[in-house]
Amino acid sequence: MRAATLFLALLLTALIGAPGFAQQTPPLPAEKPESKETVQSDISTREIAIQSNFTGIEILIFGSVDFSDSRTPGSGTYDVIAVVRGPDEPIVVRKKQRVAGIWVNGPGKTYDNVPGFYAVLSSRPFRAIASDETLKELGIGLSELDFGRHIPSESQEQAFRTAMIRLMEEKELFKEDDDGVTFIGRSLFRATVALPVSVPTGRYLVDVYLFRDGELASESQGTLEVTKAGIEAFLYTLAFQHPFVYGLLGVLIAVLMGLIGWYAFRRE
Amino acid sequence: MFQIYLPIAEISVNLLVMLGLGATVGFLAGMFGVGGGFLLTPFLMLSRIPPAIAVATGANQIVRASVSGTLAQWRRGNVDVQMGGILIAGGIAGAVVGVLLLKYLREAGQAGLIISLTYVCFLGSIGALMLWESINAIRRARAGKPVSARKSGQHIWIHGLPLKMRFPRSRLYISIIPPLVIGVLVGLLASFLGVGGGFIMVPAMIYLLRMPTNIVIGTSIFQIIFVTAIVTLLHATLNHTLDIVLAFLLIVGGVVGGQFGVRAGQKLRGEQLRALLALMVLAVALRILFDLVARPSNLYSIVPLAGA
Repeated sequence: MRAATLFLALLLTALIGAPGFAQQTPPLPAEKPESKETVQSDISTREIAIQSNFTGIEILIFGSVDFSDSRTPGSGTYDVIAVVRGPDEPIVVRKKQRVAGIWVNGPGKTYDNVPGFYAVLSSRPFRAIASDETLKELGIGLSELDFGRHIPSESQEQAFRTAMIRLMEEKELFKEDDDGVTFIGRSLFRATVALPVSVPTGRYLVDVYLFRDGELASESQGTLEVTKAGIEAFLYTLAFQHPFVYGLLGVLIAVLMGLIGWYAFRRE
Repeated sequence: MFQIYLPIAEISVNLLVMLGLGATVGFLAGMFGVGGGFLLTPFLMLSRIPPAIAVATGANQIVRASVSGTLAQWRRGNVDVQMGGILIAGGIAGAVVGVLLLKYLREAGQAGLIISLTYVCFLGSIGALMLWESINAIRRARAGKPVSARKSGQHIWIHGLPLKMRFPRSRLYISIIPPLVIGVLVGLLASFLGVGGGFIMVPAMIYLLRMPTNIVIGTSIFQIIFVTAIVTLLHATLNHTLDIVLAFLLIVGGVVGGQFGVRAGQKLRGEQLRALLALMVLAVALRILFDLVARPSNLYSIVPLAGA
């Protein structure tokens, strides 16, 4: 009986003590190791030339995560968000109203700096990757964008903003792609983004953010230049810098073609 | 396939569609002996070309058509240069006002609406009048009566106006005020609608100025060259709305289509042609009216502040 009690006591000790003991075996450091992982990225095409055959283009953003600890990627620990942002431009949003049976544009609201192109690509839904505050701070997400207009009191302000975002999405100039970034193996990732035909010219910023457990661990920035090239560039520059010469050229072509057409017709 | 990027409109269009559009309008213009602007500009607007660019580019296309037309008329001695000069003077004044007005309307976001409304009013009323007149002519022809001839030599209020001038080619001695006013009106329409304005100038010259019909046709097409050239130049300079690439495609299509149109037109009788043209004018007016009245699929629209 005594022996039995002793055995039970030992068994209980072992049972209770064992987890405690096991927990202590890998000595957990009191502080996290200082994050040393970095992200590096680049873009497949750094210069995009709009020529007469331009119908839009797909660009590839690729990069790698250099780790400082042994955690495996792809298990949800690391997340990548890429943001492509085109040059800002003022935009007027108007709403049609019915006046005497006819649909007429009402007064417009001007947004002073609307990116001409804006895409968020992420390895999983980006709102689940980081907190709203972090996203807002970094300017990630269409709802976080500051279009240079702060008049929330004005009627229909939110409706206009929403309508503008939706119209830009329809033109494929704004987009959020929740699985736009794909990891390949341990550390490589890639993301593709399509620039539509109406893409504005100028300098684009490509920001790639690396998140670990919801915290920004590293970021890398690249740029991308969209320009008109060839005869398109020549005509565009002429039209805006020497508009009179450009207009004269248009008239001259028409007069010449008129002469040619008449001559060809006359001979019959 | 065959997509081509337009540098000013900043969209990509199908090369063959635009050449075909130029050819179709050229064919109809050649068949009916009109400039075709009133068809081209609405067609361009329906093809997603911004209205202001459609107007400027349409005007440029008419320069081509009217140069060809004038050369043919000139050889037949149908151009009254003196009368043309007065119409041009009025036309330039009207064009300047029209281009500035369009610039202002574009900034206010109302250019598309006003262009459409003006089209509906003009095409609707002129189409209806033409249809009425041609149906009556067809009826009279069927009844065996002679098709109405122009009454000349009548004394109307226009002959009481001052600043009279002699126009030997047109065999007229009239005040220069009516042709100036007609010129201004045509200049306004050209800059506003991207049309040559022949559809309003020709009846005005026949019925108000009592010019001989053959001289009217030659002189109006002569005037249209200068007015549409000025309109093109003004739009390019002040509004940056001329797309040369688009204009070139339409012009090339127009040269080809125009030749076939003239031949097709010679096979139809005058009043039948006018009835057909009237029906087409009315159809275009109704199509534009429908877009104004029907509930748009999206109530909101966005444009860059700079306009385009």
